[in-house]
Amino acid sequence: MKLSVIMPVYNRERYVVSALRSLVRQRDAADLDIIVIDDGSTDGSAEAVRSMMRETPCIRLFQQSNMGVAKARNAGLRQLPPDAAFVSFLDSDDISLAGRFKTDLARFKANFGLELTYSLMTLADRIDDERLEPTADSRTMTLRGISLGTALFKRGLVDRMGQFDEDFEQAEDTDYLLRVFETAPNYELVDAVAIYYRRHAGNVTKEHSGRVRNHLRAIHKSMRRRKADPSLREVQGIFELKSPADWQML
Amino acid sequence: MHHSDVYAISSKDIVFESFDGEAVVLDLSSGKYFGFSDSGSRIWQALSSGVDAQVLIGLTAGASTIGRAELEGFVSQLLELGLLVCLDAPPQPLPSELLAELAATSEPLTVSVHDDLADLIIVDPIHEVEEPVGWPAVKQAS
Repeated sequence: MKLSVIMPVYNRERYVVSALRSLVRQRDAADLDIIVIDDGSTDGSAEAVRSMMRETPCIRLFQQSNMGVAKARNAGLRQLPPDAAFVSFLDSDDISLAGRFKTDLARFKANFGLELTYSLMTLADRIDDERLEPTADSRTMTLRGISLGTALFKRGLVDRMGQFDEDFEQAEDTDYLLRVFETAPNYELVDAVAIYYRRHAGNVTKEHSGRVRNHLRAIHKSMRRRKADPSLREVQGIFELKSPADWQML
Repeated sequence: MHHSDVYAISSKDIVFESFDGEAVVLDLSSGKYFGFSDSGSRIWQALSSGVDAQVLIGLTAGASTIGRAELEGFVSQLLELGLLVCLDAPPQPLPSELLAELAATSEPLTVSVHDDLADLIIVDPIHEVEEPVGWPAVKQAS
């Protein structure tokens, strides 16, 4: 049973090996196929990936000029092999938790009609890249948020959803996941953490207004779809802040 | 109508954009988002940019003309939802292109409230973050 994981990479030489290691250690869970799309990195990202490939043939690297994350994800979708039964994603600075795929795949085995598991993510600002775990002094926050890395898709659902909307410079994952959940797929919300989402200066966009605009566009698209097709539903009860429970937003 | 018929966005937590003339408003503090009919979108644009509400009464919109009661009801909703506040300031002129767009609308003035993405909007990933560590701006509840 083949599981393909799509990883777009852009200038993440510092983190990409940790991200790949977090996947490769789960080779016992499935016939793992890691599709890395190097989106025109100008640092040593591609070489870092190649260094992993020498000992890990399940990693495939594809390089393109810089086109943005939506196009990179679509390039990954185009590389899905015909026999990939499951599809997931991992960003090149995140960590997939050990045993995560094994646990989720067991759910698909127990529930034949299941199309999607959607798990929790823990934001962490310090990760030990040897242990692939947050350090003792890391701040953490656990939530069911927007991250393709917390989703494990059955292939049919991915084929049905089609491409990422390439008009998005960011928030293409928000748009994609809203489209997925609006169609009411057969999903299970898993109360276990699937990824550590690494918060670092490099992944917080400097331009807050652009970030907001892209998210508003995703929400606008969702409202427009639901207006045009009343069979689509609001994405109620998916996203939630889990912990720490005694924190609230400013 | 209130003593002042000029309004402004109530706080920096209220962010909005228009796409193809359709407004989407987000309240970052509550995580709610708001959608508008085609005429509601244009009226939102006018009111949020400081156009005097009185100027809008009698204009062609939503295949009809905007009545006083209809507009007052709509403005009251926007105030109650915490999106707008009254402003004691001179009004801004109504842009002519907005007038034309308003005339082309076909739906009555409505605003819809949605909270399905509330936790998501509040926490991640679009909320302001503390620099430079990129942590969502949170405080411990008392």
